[in-house]
Amino acid sequence: MFGKYLRLVAAAGALLALAGGAASAVEFKPYGRGSFAELRKQHAGRPLVVHFWSVTCPPCLAELPDWAKIASEKKSLDIVFVNADPDNDRPRAQSRIDKAGLSNLVQYGFADDFVERLYFEADKSWRGELPFTALIGADGALVTVTGTIDDPQVADWLARAGK
Amino acid sequence: MKALTLVLLAGIIAAPAYAEDRAAAADQAGQDHTRHMAHAAAPPACAEAKPACAQTADPTFAKDGRLWLAFSVGDTIYAASSRDSQNFDPSVVAATATGGVIDANGEARPKIVALADGTLLVSYTARPEKSYNGSISIARSTDGGKSFSAAQPLVDGAGQRFDIFLASPKGRVYAAWLDKRDADEARKAGKDFAGSGIAVGWSDDGGKTFAGKKILLDHACECCRVSAALDRDGLPVFAWRHVFGTNLRDHYVAKLSANGAELLGGRVSEDEWATTCPHHGPSLAIDSAGTWHVAWFTNGNARKGLFYARSVDGGKSFSEPAKFGDDERTPSHAALLFAKSGLYRVWKEFDGTTTSILAQMSRDAGKSWSAPRVVASTTGASDHPLLIEHKGAAYLSWLTHEQGYRLLPLPREQAAATTRAQPAAALTGK
Repeated sequence: MFGKYLRLVAAAGALLALAGGAASAVEFKPYGRGSFAELRKQHAGRPLVVHFWSVTCPPCLAELPDWAKIASEKKSLDIVFVNADPDNDRPRAQSRIDKAGLSNLVQYGFADDFVERLYFEADKSWRGELPFTALIGADGALVTVTGTIDDPQVADWLARAGK
Repeated sequence: MKALTLVLLAGIIAAPAYAEDRAAAADQAGQDHTRHMAHAAAPPACAEAKPACAQTADPTFAKDGRLWLAFSVGDTIYAASSRDSQNFDPSVVAATATGGVIDANGEARPKIVALADGTLLVSYTARPEKSYNGSISIARSTDGGKSFSAAQPLVDGAGQRFDIFLASPKGRVYAAWLDKRDADEARKAGKDFAGSGIAVGWSDDGGKTFAGKKILLDHACECCRVSAALDRDGLPVFAWRHVFGTNLRDHYVAKLSANGAELLGGRVSEDEWATTCPHHGPSLAIDSAGTWHVAWFTNGNARKGLFYARSVDGGKSFSEPAKFGDDERTPSHAALLFAKSGLYRVWKEFDGTTTSILAQMSRDAGKSWSAPRVVASTTGASDHPLLIEHKGAAYLSWLTHEQGYRLLPLPREQAAATTRAQPAAALTGK
């Protein structure tokens, strides 16, 4: 099943690339073991937001457009989205990303069933509650927040980081 | 994915006729990519019609002593039975979901209930393509699980998820689920509405039809499982995460009134957790004295971790929440069960590498608990731990990718003084 979806998504991406089409087919990079550390390494020296969301989390969906707004306003901020759904939910995750205007941003999707481990790598005490946001300063300082974008911790951090 | 796209591009440009080869190349590239990049495993690990290939397995014991499991692989819901709880007969297709994704995760999963007359009920929730609004369907077998009737919707119209079923000794089947219809109405009227509703219905014809289907309380948290147990009088009691005040997601336990029109109970605790989607529902058990026992997870300002409390007055009041589990190991997803041999609780802990299931038992209605003991572990993906009674004994029902499905008897040692994480307040009891 995994292979089939991967193939469909990849095929759609390839065809669009051939046709010179815009990036409306979102490419969900696989988010697996070690991905969190890898992201921190890739974005070292720049403020980074890693935002985890799910199509089965209504508050997550409601605030996706707010994240699009932040992304367009704060150019010095790197924002990475991680869809925490299993692979068979990815098509609907894609339509949500398109609808929220986030297709041009970096998207990952959970690619490992051992979700405890993925949670643990981002925050030892995270059990999978969503939305969940990891805020990493340019100095590498990590803060994790369960809650929406208007959570004071998230809002304050965003106000301070990037312009 | 980039490498994969390149492979595909190369395939499309070089040899558009060889579709099968391209597909194979994509599969191969996908495997290489996942192996090298993120160590990502393909979910599920296999696609055969057996429990080991599923994400979740829900157990029930039939009257003849056979263990039945309901599980899904792809778009198909299966039932499989075993006489020794280890070796399963070939799975039987219970239903095939069309036009949606089946809920098959720790919180929401295909379920199975065996009725006293031998009827098997299998339920599942399918979510349509562009919505998280699901619909619950039920398939029945009246020939001992050889075949299942075409699945019938529990409720007309979408908006239902997180179903739970239980059969009373008198033969009535109760169903409860979270229902978004009131929330949708409110939204259409331009009003704010927190969460969803908790709805109840019942069947007196072995699950063929359900009566009384109604949302009885609004503002249940919409992303956590509902737990249920029968009270001494045979009426069902339900536990769920509720939205109190503006957005506090604490727990509610309530019993269905005899006329089926009300849910009567109360709030378990005030954890001060203003949050969104915990994806982490409670567990409920009721003992032979009629005491309600509830276990839950919170990450509130007032308390964080796994907690237990009980009520001896039908939910009017609950004992002081008592913490359990090792906070250093992310304790989660507790399950409670009352069996003839005592009250049991199990939960998951994770140390960064290994997921363990810990168990404790109490012979004094939850006032004291035996020392936590690891009863199973795995180093891969796993389902939530479930508890099931069979012939008076308590069993852990647990599906893992590495070990497959396991049914393990829980230790029945005498309750000892609890060794950790048990505040004194909990021992005073009520």
